[in-house]
Amino acid sequence: MSKQLGFLHNSEKCVGCRGCEMACKNEYQIDATPQWRKVFQLHEEDFSLPTRMFFSMACNHCANPECLRVCPVEAYTKRDDGIVVHDPNRCIGCRLCTMACPYDRPQINPAKKKVEKCNLCYQRIDNGEQPACVAACIPGALELVEINDTLDQKTGVLKTLPGLPSPKLTTPSIRFIGPKQGKQIRRD
Amino acid sequence: MGDWEWPLILFTVLGQIAIGIIVMLWWLDRDRDHLDTQLFKKGVYVSGGLLILALLASLFHLGHPEAAYRALAHLGSSWLSREILLFLLTFLAWINLFGMSRRQTSSRAIGAGAATITTAEIAAGGQQSGNRSLGLGITSVLGLLGIASSAMIYVLPRVPAWNNVGPVLFFLLTTGLLGALVTLVLGRKLLHPAQKKLLLQWSLGCTIASLLFYVIYASMLSASMEGAASLNFLLSSPLFWARALLGWFAPLLLLVNLLKNSQVAKTNLILTLTLLAGLGEVLGRALFYLSATGIQITALF
Repeated sequence: MSKQLGFLHNSEKCVGCRGCEMACKNEYQIDATPQWRKVFQLHEEDFSLPTRMFFSMACNHCANPECLRVCPVEAYTKRDDGIVVHDPNRCIGCRLCTMACPYDRPQINPAKKKVEKCNLCYQRIDNGEQPACVAACIPGALELVEINDTLDQKTGVLKTLPGLPSPKLTTPSIRFIGPKQGKQIRRD
Repeated sequence: MGDWEWPLILFTVLGQIAIGIIVMLWWLDRDRDHLDTQLFKKGVYVSGGLLILALLASLFHLGHPEAAYRALAHLGSSWLSREILLFLLTFLAWINLFGMSRRQTSSRAIGAGAATITTAEIAAGGQQSGNRSLGLGITSVLGLLGIASSAMIYVLPRVPAWNNVGPVLFFLLTTGLLGALVTLVLGRKLLHPAQKKLLLQWSLGCTIASLLFYVIYASMLSASMEGAASLNFLLSSPLFWARALLGWFAPLLLLVNLLKNSQVAKTNLILTLTLLAGLGEVLGRALFYLSATGIQITALF
């Protein structure tokens, strides 16, 4: 594999508008139940000062994808650019990948009785476009990046956030920029 | 927490009983002609029926059962693919046993009808017994490998309660316990008292091992947050205490009583014991799925 594409999410910029969720639903006309992308709010008590902070997460196109390892029908493949693609035509709905993923991103579609997940808009990327969620993010909090040592060595780039599973489990291809907590004055 | 996975509960428990019966028949057949031909036949029929039911039940777990054959596609890394392959091979080995059981009955009838037994007939009988033992051995090994593969499916880094030797041991102990007890029920009129005693002792060993291992397993669970959640669920669930009563304590009392008082011929007690242990194992398997807590995102939705 020559490179690993992934997401960089900047929580300082994210306002929790869920535009990325909607763009994803709109692009693929996904049924109501499976949510390929989801916006989460971090617990305020995880930070030294009260902070309202969000992060957006879809499939993390992990370097060691558990979904790919456990799938009995080879519905998952990893492209040369690191994107983990799920082929619904091969899926038989055994749901083993949904048990194995610590991020709960492959989800069963109850109507189709098959698993679905984000394929990082690989067809858009192949056409030189940005993924739908990235293109729709108004504050520019979500970016498509190449995950490498250069990115990891940049100041402020984090591999995980409080409330997320350990990245050691699957080596997810997502990085974060945490919130900058300014001075807070409380009037108690 | 997990769900009531009835197809998986039925598949694993019925499949394990089926393979357990074959393993017990193989064990009883370790000395030539130790295994009654009628018991061999009954055991093969019942294990085959249970294996077919188990395989059918497993299909109901799938969203698309009509495409189940595709599950063989990823033998390189998927334990589910390996499980399906090994169970299919076990079933093929069982078909061979089925054919053998049919031939063995007819050859015995011919032998019984003859006025004298010739040297050729004795040699043929010896050959048949050797083939039977080999057939049972091959089916047992394939079946046990299939059960180990079934268990390995659940050894997932995401689920601390499963990511250990627990699933493999639980599945093999169910095979040993229920295999022995169902064989006892099938052979209640065909087994020698010594064989019955041996099977009861084996069942007692499996029950004690299951209980002791569960205590160790439960003490290990509290090491992680998710494991502790599984443990809390188990201890606060009435199902767990029903499982403990039906699957461990009642069988232990009955087994000790049967062995201590040399009541190996008490058919009703053996039947009760098998039913209680069977119910206990079904509840135990249900709890296995229900109590599974995976590592997940704990942020707010």
